[in-house]
Amino acid sequence: MLLPQHRYLKPASLDNCLAELSKTGESGQIIAGGTDVIFNMRLKLFRPETVISIRRLPELQQVEQLPDGSIRIGASCRLTDLAEHRLIQKRFPALTNSIAAVASQHIRNIGTLGGNICLQTRCWYTNNSEQWRQGKTTCFKTDGDICHVIKSASGCHAINNADTPIALIALSARLTIQKVGSQRELPIAEFYNDDGMDHIKLDPDELVTHVTIPPTEDRVVFLKNASRKGIDFSIGSIAARCDRVGNETANGDRAPKHVMLVLGSLSTAPIVLSRAAEIIKTCGLTDAAIEQAADAVREDLGEVTNLYSRAVYKKQLARVLVKRALKQLRET
Amino acid sequence: MAKQRMSITVNGDPHELLVSDRQTLLDVIRDQLSLTGTKRGCTTGACGVCTINNEQGEAIFSCLTHALEWDGESITTIEGLESNGELDAMQTAFIEHGALQCGFCTPGVIMSAKAVVNKYPQPTEEQINAGMAGVLCRCTGHIKVKQAIRNDHRIRTRAHKNG
Repeated sequence: MLLPQHRYLKPASLDNCLAELSKTGESGQIIAGGTDVIFNMRLKLFRPETVISIRRLPELQQVEQLPDGSIRIGASCRLTDLAEHRLIQKRFPALTNSIAAVASQHIRNIGTLGGNICLQTRCWYTNNSEQWRQGKTTCFKTDGDICHVIKSASGCHAINNADTPIALIALSARLTIQKVGSQRELPIAEFYNDDGMDHIKLDPDELVTHVTIPPTEDRVVFLKNASRKGIDFSIGSIAARCDRVGNETANGDRAPKHVMLVLGSLSTAPIVLSRAAEIIKTCGLTDAAIEQAADAVREDLGEVTNLYSRAVYKKQLARVLVKRALKQLRET
Repeated sequence: MAKQRMSITVNGDPHELLVSDRQTLLDVIRDQLSLTGTKRGCTTGACGVCTINNEQGEAIFSCLTHALEWDGESITTIEGLESNGELDAMQTAFIEHGALQCGFCTPGVIMSAKAVVNKYPQPTEEQINAGMAGVLCRCTGHIKVKQAIRNDHRIRTRAHKNG
């Protein structure tokens, strides 16, 4: 089956690419590895007029250490290269874990970090062929006006299924976003919208060019749950971080000063669990506090969408992930 | 339908092609170059039968990549493994171990297995599992496939001694 009709461009430099992107606007689609873009084009979810390739742009293929100790990664670095990168392994092992958890080796061999950050949201209804979808009423994402996941919803509830963003959020990474003549920096935590259709804060003429991760001595862990971990998108994943210094708690234990818990694949955007983090900050990483934090997760979850499993299972999974991540933090 | 010129080296042979921008690399390999060893399966990256090797000998899904992205690059398909009528050690290993039944997935499985031994000449169980994840065989149950991959090195060195 051929891809939908489009024009393919391969600009030689970043400047040319941004210029093309500003001309095409809404009708342009960036392609780096293509594992997500080609998939969505085949399902006719993407119907771009122009496809612009950034796969070989030399400006976007470097991993460099900045003077302040931060690491800056180009958006079209392949996931395989990043998972095997010594510096990243040494400084941010949790990020390495999250990159190695993306899909299978075959897909990591062409997929890029930028592509995973901008990964299109997924849903059990839309991720089927156009012919299959025609058997049901069209949904918000396919120009209809209902959501098949949550019937009463007023917007799209496709889930954000990417693995690396939650680790990057826990690591306080910043994105560099460029367009012709200007450049802005945005903490990746603010990059995602709680909306399945318009899931990232990126204008049509903008391009995510780099990811910068500040140095940290904190403990960070990443865990992923999937039906087959070697290939599948996750059912739920978590990144957790806390500092090593800490404060003394009321009963004499030490509690971390900063705690960050980020859940992925359970909603239209990554979820930062503030209540659970607050409990750990007050009580420390004790067994009782971890139980309490896991109980508090439900409040932060909101409506759980149900790709791959039922919502009730996902709610239970979120609880278990939080417990496992916190216990692992304690042992790291 | 707009077409663009591209050059690609497949199994060591350079090709100059006129490629539609609506084609994936798999379409070019099968429909234009008539190398039908590489199979078309799910075309969504879930089954692995379209696996080929890139220039570095790494496994990739040819169904999930735009054909024109590969302008100027070099790839290997299942047809490129045998040389001078001699099967590759991996192919021999698959035959010796009976690591195939219906054979539909075999080109994808062998190209993935090649990628594993290209990276780790004597792979561990874990390395085999990681490299072969995402390639599905409905007949053999994967055990014989793994035995064949473990024996690739032995067959390669045996061939080397005899040759």
